[in-house]
Amino acid sequence: MGALLQLEGLRRSYGPVVALDDLSFEVPSGQVVGFLGPNGAGKTTTMRAIFGLTDLDAGEVTWNSAPVGQAERRRFGYMPEERGLYPGMLVGEQVEYLGRLHGLSATTAADAAAVWMERLEIGQRRDAKVEQLSHGNQQRVQLAAALVHEPELLVLDEPLSGLDPTGIEAIGRVLVDRARAGCCVLISSHQLDLVEELCDRVTIIDHGRLVASGTVDELATSGPRRLEVRIEGERSADWARGVPGVTVSEVAGGAARLALDESADSDAVLRAAMAAGRVTEFSFGRRRVSEVFRESLQ
Amino acid sequence: MKVLITVLVAVLLVARIAFYIRRRRRGAERKAAAVEPPVPAVRTGRPHPQLHRIEHAFGDVGLVAGREIRERVRGRIFRVGTIIMLVGVGAAVVIPTIHSGSGPTPQRVGVVGGLSSDGRQVVAASAKANDDTVTLVNESSTSHAKADLRAGRVDAVIVDSDEILLDQPVNASTSSADSGLVNQVAQYLGVLRAYREAGLSASQVERINKYQPVAVSSLVSGSKGTNLSKGTSVIGMVLLFFMLTQYCTWILIGVMQEKSSRVVEVLLAVVRPIQLLGGKVLGIGAVALGQAALIVAFALAVGAAVGSNLLHGAAPLALLSELLWLVLGYGFYCWVYAAAGSTAERQDQVQTLALPLSLPILFGYIYSISVVSSGNANAFFKVLAFLPPTAPFCMSALVGLGQVTWWQFVLSALISVGATAGVALFAARIYRRAVLRTGSRVRLRELLRPAGSS
Repeated sequence: MGALLQLEGLRRSYGPVVALDDLSFEVPSGQVVGFLGPNGAGKTTTMRAIFGLTDLDAGEVTWNSAPVGQAERRRFGYMPEERGLYPGMLVGEQVEYLGRLHGLSATTAADAAAVWMERLEIGQRRDAKVEQLSHGNQQRVQLAAALVHEPELLVLDEPLSGLDPTGIEAIGRVLVDRARAGCCVLISSHQLDLVEELCDRVTIIDHGRLVASGTVDELATSGPRRLEVRIEGERSADWARGVPGVTVSEVAGGAARLALDESADSDAVLRAAMAAGRVTEFSFGRRRVSEVFRESLQ
Repeated sequence: MKVLITVLVAVLLVARIAFYIRRRRRGAERKAAAVEPPVPAVRTGRPHPQLHRIEHAFGDVGLVAGREIRERVRGRIFRVGTIIMLVGVGAAVVIPTIHSGSGPTPQRVGVVGGLSSDGRQVVAASAKANDDTVTLVNESSTSHAKADLRAGRVDAVIVDSDEILLDQPVNASTSSADSGLVNQVAQYLGVLRAYREAGLSASQVERINKYQPVAVSSLVSGSKGTNLSKGTSVIGMVLLFFMLTQYCTWILIGVMQEKSSRVVEVLLAVVRPIQLLGGKVLGIGAVALGQAALIVAFALAVGAAVGSNLLHGAAPLALLSELLWLVLGYGFYCWVYAAAGSTAERQDQVQTLALPLSLPILFGYIYSISVVSSGNANAFFKVLAFLPPTAPFCMSALVGLGQVTWWQFVLSALISVGATAGVALFAARIYRRAVLRTGSRVRLRELLRPAGSS
């Protein structure tokens, strides 16, 4: 049986503001878990609670059913949203230092730092100061610092924000590899398409409460059926709004994505589409994570 | 004394200007660095294995302290600042020896008509008092002696134990004769002549010459301090002030920067707040103590090499006392500055905090300098010497003046250590609550509320 991070009944208030409201969910090993929610939903507070950086009013964070203490946290890796690095420190020394704080010997930390910096394609910058690097490379340094001690749990707050496609691909590959190696990986992001691509599971919270959780497959196949319709020259989905049982989910790239409840008739949708113009695409599909997200918050 | 203070103030000003220029330059570089430089700007060797062993011995605290030591010692500000202080201290030790004449001055004194044994003793005693070495040269006649004077072969001539001839007026800057020696010999030869004219016997003259001065006492217990140890005390106090404010400001800015860069979140995910704070205080404290010890050792070595009067008598003790008070003062103030730094996350907030924190330091420093200069410590000043915020300066001043007993010194140190323990506990509590709170500056009132009421 693999490792398991459990968050049970977390509560945290800042005066009248409720940041976490009886929040419970799990992060199993071997999977990348996407942690989603609108701004102010409580994602960062939850992640900080895992590392004891926020005092909880109630609830508990456990690792393999035992409370999380300093010894456990040494085996975790953390990347905060607003990057946590010494701007004036050399890249290589910084990664080694954080590795040593996680319990590595000086030699092991130096070797591991070299390996991860090469893997994240910043090996050439090891003797540069962090403040001399671009945003993307600073992000890579931060990830190397979180990975240098081969953590059993990786918690990353917005690891993909501000990265170019190459950076996203490199970091995404590392995260998936770590999960496949048995690590628990929890990442927050607002880039929902990337989350769908990278993650095995998704947990969505709003106002500090859990609103949806499950594997990407479970969430994609649950809820109303999806129909994608493309009509030549038609950029809106006004033609579908009057069809009974049909809701316009989104309009993107010239195609309308429609949610069909049980009362909806797909033939009626097709007729309405043909009346609007020449239909070039008409296909059933899975629910996207972005749709799950939007519909969960309604 | 004025020369010393002028030199030290000049050195401090130069250091301050250098620091300001460097900060402006770094700010401009940051703005200009829109893209990564193609070549790594800094290349350094591996950290020293000895430091690794020390880090390992102290665990997480040692690791944090080791990083602080490496980063601070590597910084150009520290290296340039240390060199400037060494130069300043060296100048303060060496310049007075040049000013007062370095080493014995050789004086050749011509003698016309012979010199009695009493006269020879007078010349020898005067030479010793003026730090001169005198060589007596017999002259066959006054005219011959004048020729030697004009030719510079002798510096002065004693004629028949009754007159002293010089080539230039006695106080002329171009005169090769030591005016102190000339005046003293002239006075003593006059006394010998008076003895002769009074018809005193040789034994009577001898008894008079062996006189002992009467005791001088005052109603208030006397100061054992000398001008020399006062001078050393002032030098030490200027350095104490400079180093105490510099290193405590490092703590203040260091804590603020860790908070503003959010690196503190990564660190506190692994180590406890007290370990992080303790490591920082220990690391910067080790750098401060190392720098101070280097400066004191350098001052003692230079003083011994040039034979400086500033390091004679009680002066080394005053310096060592100031070194100890640097440690105690740093120990007390560093926690206060760290707690204050944890409530700020911007440079302007730091400046707002730094001013009130530095007031007791500034007060103790200025008051102590004035007391050392006047030589009189009143009862209020002596009370301040037992209060931890002002003790580093006031107690050092009392040591310099020789107006403190060993048990008073120890008592003040113990009070300071006890107060430091209390301040450290309080500061750690503030730090833990404030350092992870971002946004506007955290108010002290909020931090003092009971846990869980935020």
